[in-house]
Amino acid sequence: MLIQESRTYKLAKAALIAVLIAVTPVVAHLRAQTKPLPTAEQKEDPLSVLYKEAEKSLDAKKYKEALAQYEELEKKALEVELKLKAVISFRKASCYYFMRDWPKAETELTAFLTKYPKGTEDFFDADNRRGIAELTLIEVLSSQAKFDAALARLEKIRTNTLARPEDRVNAFTLSAKIVSDRAKNAPDDVRKAALAQAIGLLKQATAEGINTPERREAANKLVELYTKLGLTKEASQLKSEIDAKSSGSPAEVVRSNTQRLEIGDARFAAAEQAADETIRANFYREALTNYQGTLRRLNLTTSFTKAIEAKQAEHAALVKANAKPNPEQAANIEKAKLEVEQFKKYEADFTANKDYDAFVSYRIGLCLLELKRPWEAYVAFKDIFENSPNFSRLAGAYYYYITALRQIGRNTEAQSKCKEFLGKFPNADEVSAIGLMLGDISQAQEDYPEAIKHFTWVRDNVKSLTPETAEEIDFRIAACLFSQVDWAPAQKAFDAFLKKYERSPVRQQVLYMSALCQFFQGKYKETKIAFDLYQTEYPKGQFLPDVQYRQAIVLFGTNPPDIPATLKLCEQWLKDYEKDRTDEVINQMPEVYTLIGDANIRLADEIDKRIKAADLDVRLNSKSPDKAKFVAIKTKLETEKAVLIGKAIDAYEAAAKSARTNPQALEFVLGELKKMLPGRGDHKRMRDLFKEIFDWNHNDPKAMTYLYEVIRSTERMGDMPEFGQRAEKSQKAFSGKLAEARKKVDELERRDKVTKDEVDAGKAAVAKLSTELKVELDKVEADRQTSISDQKKRALKILSDAVSESINDRTQEGTEKLIAFLAEKLSRKVKRVKPGAKPLPGAYTSENAEAEMTKLLRLEEHRDSLVAQARGFFALGQLAALNREPEKTALYFSKIAANYKAEELSPTILAMVGDSLLTKGDYKKAGEYFGYILEHGRSSEYADFAFAGLAEIQFADKKYKEALSLCNEAIDNNILMSKELDLRFIRARCLAEMQKYPEAKKEFEEIAKTKEWRGEKTAASLYWLGLMAERQATDEKGYNEAVAYYRRCYLTWKKYESWSAKSYLSAAKLFAGKLNQKDAAKQLLKEMLEKDRIKDTREGTEAKALILTL
Amino acid sequence: MHHFVRHPFVPVVALLLAASAQAQTFVFKGGERWEINDPLKMDTTAIPPKPATPDPKKGIINAVKGTIDRTTMQGGIEVGLTRKLSEVVDIAWPMPARLTEAQNNVNRGEPGKALDNAEAVLRLFEPMKTISGSWWTKASLIKLDALDRLENDAATASFLDAFEKEEVAKLPAVATQIQLARLMQRARKGDHEAVIAEATELITKIDSSEIQARLHIVKGNSLFAAKKYEAAMNAYLRVPVFFGAEVEHVPKALLGAARSFRGMDSPALKEQKLEAISNRYLYDIIVTFPVSKEAEEAKKLLPKEERAKAEADQKKIAEGGPLPEGVIMAKPKLRPEEAVEGNK
Repeated sequence: MLIQESRTYKLAKAALIAVLIAVTPVVAHLRAQTKPLPTAEQKEDPLSVLYKEAEKSLDAKKYKEALAQYEELEKKALEVELKLKAVISFRKASCYYFMRDWPKAETELTAFLTKYPKGTEDFFDADNRRGIAELTLIEVLSSQAKFDAALARLEKIRTNTLARPEDRVNAFTLSAKIVSDRAKNAPDDVRKAALAQAIGLLKQATAEGINTPERREAANKLVELYTKLGLTKEASQLKSEIDAKSSGSPAEVVRSNTQRLEIGDARFAAAEQAADETIRANFYREALTNYQGTLRRLNLTTSFTKAIEAKQAEHAALVKANAKPNPEQAANIEKAKLEVEQFKKYEADFTANKDYDAFVSYRIGLCLLELKRPWEAYVAFKDIFENSPNFSRLAGAYYYYITALRQIGRNTEAQSKCKEFLGKFPNADEVSAIGLMLGDISQAQEDYPEAIKHFTWVRDNVKSLTPETAEEIDFRIAACLFSQVDWAPAQKAFDAFLKKYERSPVRQQVLYMSALCQFFQGKYKETKIAFDLYQTEYPKGQFLPDVQYRQAIVLFGTNPPDIPATLKLCEQWLKDYEKDRTDEVINQMPEVYTLIGDANIRLADEIDKRIKAADLDVRLNSKSPDKAKFVAIKTKLETEKAVLIGKAIDAYEAAAKSARTNPQALEFVLGELKKMLPGRGDHKRMRDLFKEIFDWNHNDPKAMTYLYEVIRSTERMGDMPEFGQRAEKSQKAFSGKLAEARKKVDELERRDKVTKDEVDAGKAAVAKLSTELKVELDKVEADRQTSISDQKKRALKILSDAVSESINDRTQEGTEKLIAFLAEKLSRKVKRVKPGAKPLPGAYTSENAEAEMTKLLRLEEHRDSLVAQARGFFALGQLAALNREPEKTALYFSKIAANYKAEELSPTILAMVGDSLLTKGDYKKAGEYFGYILEHGRSSEYADFAFAGLAEIQFADKKYKEALSLCNEAIDNNILMSKELDLRFIRARCLAEMQKYPEAKKEFEEIAKTKEWRGEKTAASLYWLGLMAERQATDEKGYNEAVAYYRRCYLTWKKYESWSAKSYLSAAKLFAGKLNQKDAAKQLLKEMLEKDRIKDTREGTEAKALILTL
Repeated sequence: MHHFVRHPFVPVVALLLAASAQAQTFVFKGGERWEINDPLKMDTTAIPPKPATPDPKKGIINAVKGTIDRTTMQGGIEVGLTRKLSEVVDIAWPMPARLTEAQNNVNRGEPGKALDNAEAVLRLFEPMKTISGSWWTKASLIKLDALDRLENDAATASFLDAFEKEEVAKLPAVATQIQLARLMQRARKGDHEAVIAEATELITKIDSSEIQARLHIVKGNSLFAAKKYEAAMNAYLRVPVFFGAEVEHVPKALLGAARSFRGMDSPALKEQKLEAISNRYLYDIIVTFPVSKEAEEAKKLLPKEERAKAEADQKKIAEGGPLPEGVIMAKPKLRPEEAVEGNK
């Protein structure tokens, strides 16, 4: 629930209802009071004059004056007909009624009803006014809280079958009103019972339909009561019925709209109170439906205009038809005239309310925000800015608009709107909320200087900040300084905060952060004091685990470091929080282990110095009898160091394994372990650790890196230290024997009397020993190779497992990366041979690699998966590409194209295969694949392939405008990952073909001069620049300019024979034709045809033909 | 009798239905009222359905002669009465079932069938097209919709030319519809900038919610074609936001919005997950408007995994299951012809 919204929402609601009620008509009880007294007109006696004056005063709403005149008339008119006395009594009662003098009105009305059983008879018209007097009396009684008396009178009317039907209907309506009014302040259950009773009465009033104004009035009241009781379904149904019967009068239209809004408001209010999510959403939906069904200003204005025109026509018709009206006709004309004026008043009142549409949009927007439809809410609030910029609740609209913008992830736009708001409404209520939001967005985006700027502005400029907001802003500024590692200012800000807000609810956090500022400044002494203070104030504080950890770091960081104390604190920490599974502790755990590792490394470093000294001693005493002693010292120290390093590695490993939620710690310790473990030949440990981390989440962005380490370590595991040891042992074992045998041969050769056989025998013995050693070493090497090969197989198996896991999931874009990785591994195994040469027997060929790839991808297991099979072809295609077998790549990709629909493939495959198809000229299929990417994968890393591919296809189809549009779209939206050059090149060509030469030239020149793009497109751009110059040339200078570009192309870019050939030919043609230099042309063509790479091209053939004509 | 015995309730139900249904009545000069046999009414119990047997007490329209013929009993003698169609001054006729079907055909993307149904109504009311209560204008507008769905510009243009010459075309509401149809034709011809400008201007002047909804869609379509995806999204979304009661236009707008979100998508905006938002709209269409042309389109656009989910959820909702979070089920407005007083 949006608490802040609810408050603003209520304000908005109140304002709108006030406007709408203001234009709702008041039911008049004394109708036709302006009708002239016929007899008085005929006899202009003083009594008539006095009566006319009294009527005039009454008409002018001068009730006191009118009452005095009627009283005077009463005194003077003693000898008149009874009905005239009744008229005076009725009028007096009316005056009291309008003056709200309820007791006197009651007395006079009672007198009228008692004394004049025939009422005013036919004085006014056929209505003798007894009915209306009765109802007025009831209302007067009700106004004096004499509910029982009022209801008793109403019951008489309701049950009187002789009473006029309208009076009976009115009696029901009034009874319902009194029943509900009477219970207004009663307890809930009583009030609800009363409302139910009122509903019963109104149902009786409408039982025979709603064809008369009285019955419709009753029905409208019923709608209101239904709405109050939350019976919106009934309210909506009845409302539709009333609307269908509507006469179209502005009063009815406005009332109908009010009811719709009220029903919507009732639903909205109910939604805000509903605890159940589903019910709440349903209520919001119902509210939204009602708001959406409300007529907008344009509709209402039109219906007003129509109603007024109809009424004016009715009035005009009456005037025309009754040129000399009798009193009754005159009364009808007057009535029509009054109605026209009344309608106009409604229209004027409505027109004066400029906020109407904006309030409807506002309510719709709120419902949509609550329904978690921020995009639609964004549209609703945007409507207010576009169409009702002067909306009285514009400040509120800004707030929700910004909220919607944040929810749809448009933070920059949200901030811009915040700034706009702060500039426009510096004194609005929402300033602090929006100012905070502005800073909050910057803070969330880690733009701390900007956040501080915004927070400071709010603090310094907003006058109406609540103390809580002011405190929050001070805290946020300090927190931002902290986040931007501005430790000294942050600490100053925190300290100032602590002084200013001694009892702040965030005191604990501020105390802790202030200490951290000291810590990060390396002020360990002060840090210890600050953390000690924290621990004293908050012995069970929420930051205690971190504080204790930092205390250990302080001990480690002081000079000289107290490492034993550090390790002790760390061990204690691990013991204390062993069973604590809170997020903070889980996060802290790897850091504590890391500190243990660091401390052990430091200890090892200390020993290292001593080892160096011991080593020096050993060397200095190499010939002394104490050598053994020094060697023993050195060995002992080395053992101690190894133990410490081992402890450090254990600690780092424990840190890594517990750092799933702490990526920074993980990165650090993995870095350390990557330095230490391979050097120690601990590849298995390395492999196991990375495998465990990789298995946490295969979709993690770093998963590929972890997998890479797993593969590498696994491969290295094959080359175990034992092979080296075995080889060394063998060499040691043979070295003595060999030395002795060689010595023997030497001795023999030095002897004087030695036979050749003896020498040969000695040499043979040496050779035998050498052979035996070689056999031994070969055996070790063979075992080593077998081990390496086994481990490589295991590595591939791991990779195969990883691929197999996601090979069926089309949405996993990482699978193709794994496949590419696998292909690379297999490709390295292939023994390459020169084209045409046969591979050596038993050599690992590309066919072997393909077979192994198929096996590793476990395609047999995934036979039913379309995407897995497609990925199989893709893998083989990739492998072929790495093995430099482009035909095979094209073959495998064409199999994908032939067998798979776009929706069955991933964006990567679509892009790669699409590109291959494009090269092969299969534009239709390529277009289908690229089109699918554009439709479904614009955010894919391969979206640029689709733009470039489709643009190329359109270009080839000579649809330059469409191709240009695609290029522009990609370039303007920065969709240029690896196809920027292609897109720019196509754009340039499109511009050229559309004869937009200056723009095209700019594009081609940009390509030609960009170093990073040097290559085929540079050559092509030069050719196109030449072509454009040629097309625009009108004189020799122009043609020479074209030739210059062609020349640059063929001289600089010979290796791109297609462009080079085109340039040669084009230049030669210009020489032969426009420039009339046939010799130069001939020479150039000869030069062209001397190039091996060019002479057999299409241009080469054309050149041969051309040269014959010169 | 045999049937009555086996199904004694049937006649009672029929009676009730007859009582609740509104009779087709012509009012002549002088106030005389004749109940008329509905010539479009079919006897659906027959296989294949055939035109219903006329009630002898009611009048029969003779379109060839331009008369209404009726037989009445006067003093025990059967007397044939004839009045000219030109004498009819008022018509009380509930919305013809074929017109309702034509509207549904349009919504379901069956313009050919829509044309067949609308044409039948047009033929029936042709001689009385200007008379109050005639369904001719409504049928013409549905035909216009059907032609638009067919995207047959030549036929639409020809129909519009003829329609514009009719008296009813001067009525503001009809004139606006014609203007709208012309606008749609221009949009199809690729005159998007002009369509956008004109639609924007018209939106501020039109008071009919239905036409406003249509205009927003036309504007959205042109903005989309001009690759102004953000603006197109804004235009389309105004329909479900402000004209949610115009149910027949909501799916079109949602589909347009879904496509616009896809157009807006790029690697740089990956974090906004615009494709997921787009898919959410497609899901809404399938779930909320399952029998519509747009639902079929949405199914094509949705990735197959999500399509399967949407279809399954739609079935659950159809069986009375709760709405998934965030779905705005637009409540149909009470159509004028469904109001108590029928088409008056």
